[in-house]
This record gives sequence, C-alpha cells and structure tokens, in this order.
Amino acid sequence: MSVHVTAARRAVAALAVAAAAFTAAPAAAAQDPAASEARTQVTIAPLDLNGPAISEVKVTVTNAGPERLSRLNVTLNGPAGWAVQPAVRSVDGSYQPGAAATAEFRIQVPEQRAGFTMRTFTATATYKGGDGQGTATGTRVERSGAALARLSDAYNKVAITDENDTKAGEFDGEGNSFSAQKLAAVGLTPGASVNALGAQLTWPAAAPGTKNSVSSTGQAVKLAGKGSKLVFLGSGVGFGATGTATVIYTDGSSTAGSIGFPNWSFQEPTAHGATLVKSTDGRNRPDGYGNAGIDYRVFAHSIALDPAKQVELVVLPANAAIHLFDIALAP
Amino acid sequence: MSEVPAVSRRSVLAGAVASGALAVGLGTVASAPALAAPGAAETVTTSERRRLAGQTSMINVPYEEHRTVRVATIGLGNRGRGMTQGWSIVPGCQVTAVCDIRADRAKRVADDLAKAGKPRPAEFGGSADSYAEMLKRDDIDLVYIATPWEFHYKQGKAALLAGKHVIVELPIATQLDELWDLVDTCERTRRHLMLAENCSYGRNELAMLKMAHDGVFGDVTNGHGGYLHDLRALLFSDTYYTDSWRRLWHTRSTASFYPMHGLAPVAAAMDINRGDRMTTLRATATAPKGLADYRERFVPKGHPSWNETYINGDLVTCMIETANGRTIRAEHNVSEPRPYSRINSIAGSRGIFEDYAGNSSTGARIYFEPDHGDDAWRDFESYLKEFDHWLWKKIGDDAANNGGHGGMDYVLQWRTVHLMRAGLVPDIDVYDSAAWCAPVPLSVMSLEHKGKPVEIPDFTRGAWVNLRLGLDSRMTEMPPV
Repeated sequence: MSVHVTAARRAVAALAVAAAAFTAAPAAAAQDPAASEARTQVTIAPLDLNGPAISEVKVTVTNAGPERLSRLNVTLNGPAGWAVQPAVRSVDGSYQPGAAATAEFRIQVPEQRAGFTMRTFTATATYKGGDGQGTATGTRVERSGAALARLSDAYNKVAITDENDTKAGEFDGEGNSFSAQKLAAVGLTPGASVNALGAQLTWPAAAPGTKNSVSSTGQAVKLAGKGSKLVFLGSGVGFGATGTATVIYTDGSSTAGSIGFPNWSFQEPTAHGATLVKSTDGRNRPDGYGNAGIDYRVFAHSIALDPAKQVELVVLPANAAIHLFDIALAP
Repeated sequence: MSEVPAVSRRSVLAGAVASGALAVGLGTVASAPALAAPGAAETVTTSERRRLAGQTSMINVPYEEHRTVRVATIGLGNRGRGMTQGWSIVPGCQVTAVCDIRADRAKRVADDLAKAGKPRPAEFGGSADSYAEMLKRDDIDLVYIATPWEFHYKQGKAALLAGKHVIVELPIATQLDELWDLVDTCERTRRHLMLAENCSYGRNELAMLKMAHDGVFGDVTNGHGGYLHDLRALLFSDTYYTDSWRRLWHTRSTASFYPMHGLAPVAAAMDINRGDRMTTLRATATAPKGLADYRERFVPKGHPSWNETYINGDLVTCMIETANGRTIRAEHNVSEPRPYSRINSIAGSRGIFEDYAGNSSTGARIYFEPDHGDDAWRDFESYLKEFDHWLWKKIGDDAANNGGHGGMDYVLQWRTVHLMRAGLVPDIDVYDSAAWCAPVPLSVMSLEHKGKPVEIPDFTRGAWVNLRLGLDSRMTEMPPV
C-alpha cells in the first residue's frame, strides 16, 4: 500500500517558496496568485519491494508552471542504507507547461522484513523555469505488514518495579526504574486515568516488574478515532529523547510531528516542548529503592492532527530513548 | 532502464592523463608500478588492461544448466581431501577425477569415495603436470583447486582454457598480472572462475550482509576483517603443509597473504563491484618476530627451518578506501599467539556489528538505532534469527552435519552446485575474486613504497557502478536429482 505524505510535501513546498525569494521568481508567477499555486509535481511510481532484488523506479516530473522547464536534474533517496543508482539523473530537453519528464533509477531492495514496515522514498527535482521555484520534491511511502492492535502489545521495557523487588528494572539501561509505590503516591496506580493536554490516558495496568512501557523504535500501533491532537504520555532517557511520530488516516494520508521528553530526572521539565504530568520521589535501583529527594518524572507531549480525518494507526518515533506509557486522542 | 556501460579505454586514458597518473603498460601485462607525477596525489599507480576485441564481460552471465555437476580436484592434501568428500555428498554432484602430484593421495581419495558408495573417480598423479592430463577429460564441469598458493594461477588458467569452470582456494593468484590474466581468460573462454571463499557463506557473515542491505546500520561507512589465526604449530609441522610450502612463503614475500576471509564479507556488505569499488590500499607491517621466536622455543636445532629467515611481518594491515568514501581494514596475522578471529565487523551511520566479541552463543554483538539507545551492546542471537540467510535456513542442518568450518564449506559447495545445476549467475565471480585477492600483491607494492597508497585496479572495467545481486540472493530450489 502506498501513501503520499501531503504534509511533508506542503512543508517542502513552503521551503521551496522561501528559497525562491532569493532566486527571483518569474514576475508572472509573483503577480498571479493562481499561477503561484501551480507547483511542479514530482511523483514516484509504485516500487517492487519483493527483495532481494534490484528494482527499477520511475520518477515523473510534471511542469505545472507557466514557463518551459529545462536543465532538469532528479535525485532519488530510499530508506537509509539502501543503494540507489545513479546518484543524479540529468534529463535532457525543455518541457512546456503541462508536459512531463521521467527519470529512471535502480534501487537495491532487501528481503521484506516480517511485521510492519514503512519505507519512505523521496525524489527531488531541480530545474530552471517551470514554476520558478527551482526545486520540487515528491515522497512515496510504502507500507507492509500489520500494525499492533494496541500500545500494550508493544511493551518491551520494565519501567516500573515494586520497591520490594527492583531487580527487573530496565528503564534507563542501568537497571533503574520508577517506584510503583511512589507512583501510586501521586495517583499513578495500575490502570489509573491520567488527564494530560486535553486527552484522557491510562497508566499501564501491567504489574510492576513486568514489561510495562514501550521503548519507542518505530513500532506501528492501531488507534481508531478522530481528534485535534495525539497525546503521548512518557519520559526520556538521556538528553536526546526526541523523534517524529506519524499518524496515518484511513484515507491513506498522514500527518507527522515531532515529540520529545526530558530526561526523567536531570533536564528542564519543558525541554523538547514537553509538559510535566507527575513527579515521583526517588527511584528504584537494582539494589532497592534509593535517590530519595530527587524527582523522577512523567511527561506529556502532543502532535496536531487533522480533526476531520479518521485515524487508522500511529507509527511511533524511532528513538529508543523515548519511553511511552500510553497514547490517546484529544478532542 | 539500461545499466551504466563499462568505462571505455578512452575515458580510462583521459582520466589517467588528467590526474597525472597515467599507468605504465596499458593494454599489456602490468609492469612495474610507478609513483604518480609530481603534483598529483602520491599514489602508486597500477596498470589497467584493455579488453581485447571479441572479449566481453562475464558479469551477470549465468552458468549453463548442468543435470549433474562433475567435479575434478587438483591437490589432495588436508584441504583438498576433505573438500573432495564434501563435493561428493552435494545432491547432483559427482567427483569424476582426482589429481595430486603424489599419486598415492589420489588413490587414497578415490578409495575414500568408493568406500562411501560413490562412483570411483579417475586418478591422476605422479608428476607436476598430471593435472594437465586430467583436464583433457570431457567428463569434468568444475575443477576445484586446493594446491599450494604458487600453483593456483597456472592451474586455474589451464582449467579455464580446457573449457572447465573453476573454483580455487585462496588466493586465486598472487601477482597482479596473474589476476588480470584470469579475468581476461574467463572473458575469452566464457567460463567462470571463483574464489572458494567459504567465509562469504558464513552464517553470521550472511546475516550481517542482509542487515546491511536492510539499512539496519544506516549508510555503511567502514568495515573491518581479517585472518588472525595462530598457525605457528602447523607452519612448523613437517606433515601438515606438504614440503612446508606455507611457511616458505614467509621467507620470500612481505604480502598480506590471506586477508580474504575477513575482507570478502565486508566487501559484500559494501556491494563492492556492485555499486562501489575498492580504489586504494595502504599497507603497514610489524616486524617479523613471531615465527623466529616460536622456532627458538619449540623447534629442535637441525630442523630445516633453522636455515630460514622470515621477512613477512607478523601483522600486515591493509587500509582500503572505496569509491563511495568507505574504509576497510583488512588484517593478516598467523605468526603470533592469539585466539582465532576474522574480526568481521561493519559499521555505519546508525549502528555497528562486531563478530568475535562479547559472550553471545553466536559469537557476535550488535548495537544500532533506533532499537538501542543506551550505549550497551546487544546479543546478536535474535537478529541472526530474523536475518538468517535462506541458504542456512534451508541446508543449515545438513551443513552442520557434513561440512567443515562450522558448515561454511558445505554451504559454499552446495550453493556452487546449485548455481551450476539451475543455470544461475554466480554469487561470486572472477571480478570479486580478483578484487578480494588484489591485496596480496598490492600490499607488497605499498610496503615497498613505505606505506604509500596503491591503486586497486578496477577488474570490472567500469561495470562496478551497476547495482546487481550477489550473495544476498533470492531463494530458489535445487533441481531434483
């Protein structure tokens, strides 16, 4: 299944407009609002992802601008580590308004992995004339496999332990974890409701000492409903717990947004734009409860959604330093 | 979409002139290396060889289909004897002839096969040219060569000229002009010659390759491999290496003799000759201390080795750069005490794989983003299961029961027979084989020039730029016997 990421395209188009300010867009385009909306279209044809294989990929560049388009160069990038040949295609000729040029690439496709995958391909065209923008980008996202039914199916870390049995803790890679007793003291008991950023979330019901949080590595999770934003409840390890989450709607379109959590203890509580939800006193270490007097915290963050669209699934950020307890839609 | 054509002689010439580094002897057998002209990068140049009229590339040329692959072996020492038995048990493969300069070895192996219920192969031996007689037979499809290194080139070329496909133990040749000649001979005879690089079919190595292609490591930027094997006891044995041939190489060459076991898997993960190529090599060598020290402590006075002087550095390191900006470190050390390792590591913008490290039952460890973010190594076991190559899934049990070197030998042999019976394109071709063996002569050149970089020839003559499948292959069935 393929998805065209419209938001990303809009963002790139906005960048292209900004760039055009430095390169003197054609007068006609600058004066005619309709013409200025007509952007060069870059389209990536469907790919054969049944690897291992060397697949051919066709990129079509359509001149939607008022001027002839020439000096066209096209690049294609696949997922990180995928070889693409050649690095750039120079396309001869001059293309009148409405005409299309094609550039063909070869890409090394690996064997399809089990489970959910989302592969992103980006083609960039640079040119003279056309819409006067000088550059345009097209994106294609190929999905395969099924998303997890719920976030708890992705639980892969023991983030919460009982003070009487702390050895299973693995929140931070050093055997430390949240104290179930101290969490309860601030209302975070198993299965408790948590209101944050307008959403009603649920604290993990899984028992302390079991897998009860998600170290976020790009897992895909089903989530049905509509909302103005998607709220993430979690905390961070290290100082770089940030990443991009992608929400895919039932119509195949998508929204992407950045989230981030501060370090669970040592970082400004508003770092990465997060909102503090709860603070607990101390933490569980492999040898028992300790670090009393130091706060260990839970945060919320959100990304904006198209409230008119039905959400189908969420692709979590690909950064294991982000630990999630729940996600929910806010009205 | 058509592939990018190979670089023409004209463009090779133009590039060489432009860089001020025109090679000597273009279109002929490579002659002495030369330093670049003043002002150019101080790289030792090597000769390109022009493809003669009527000679075309063997890239993507499939084997013709064989109902049965009939194998003949040249060289029946430790390696040859064991591998000949291995060929005989692959479905659809029959050993039809065996040869060794010592006729009794040929008889012994023929007896082995007959006792195992296999057809008795024809025996050849008794002289240095016995193999030439064997090559006249018309019941041989594939010649397997396991003689001392100094005979590989001559015997490999003779087998090609006799119309046979060839698989050669490491290295396929030891001189640059010999490597080129094998490439040219393959292109003229339309026969394939491949290095018997069993480590390319190692389970960890193939999983590493598949992970690299999947993008697990991001853009692969560097790799490390080698052959670190304490061979001192075997080198001084009077029986293991016939006539001590392997120890004698340490008296007459400074080369990195045998780095291919570690280099080839890394090269595969970087798609060398399939989108990238190795461009330069710089070598360093430590002093040759290990063998003399061992002899001093463990070898009786009067042993023939006491007349020898060892000149091969204990640790020879080759630093290789690629056209796409990657680096490879390939090491060779068989002269000092140490546990075995082929290093076998690759790394990139998103992660790293290291074999021969950690405590995993797989022998390997791994770390990559986004799955890992706490600076702690992970056991490779679960990833080995996820990225296990289809060959190991299919014949891993057979390999474990039948093959030496952890089953790699059987996988190499099974796959070679499979490719020939099914009429498929080789996973490893003569261009790969030549490139992987090029560090043998090039390390000598670099060391002669105090470690200066030496050009690595493009044996594909420009075709390396084209993506193509290799060891990361699609599963197909072995034709029924």
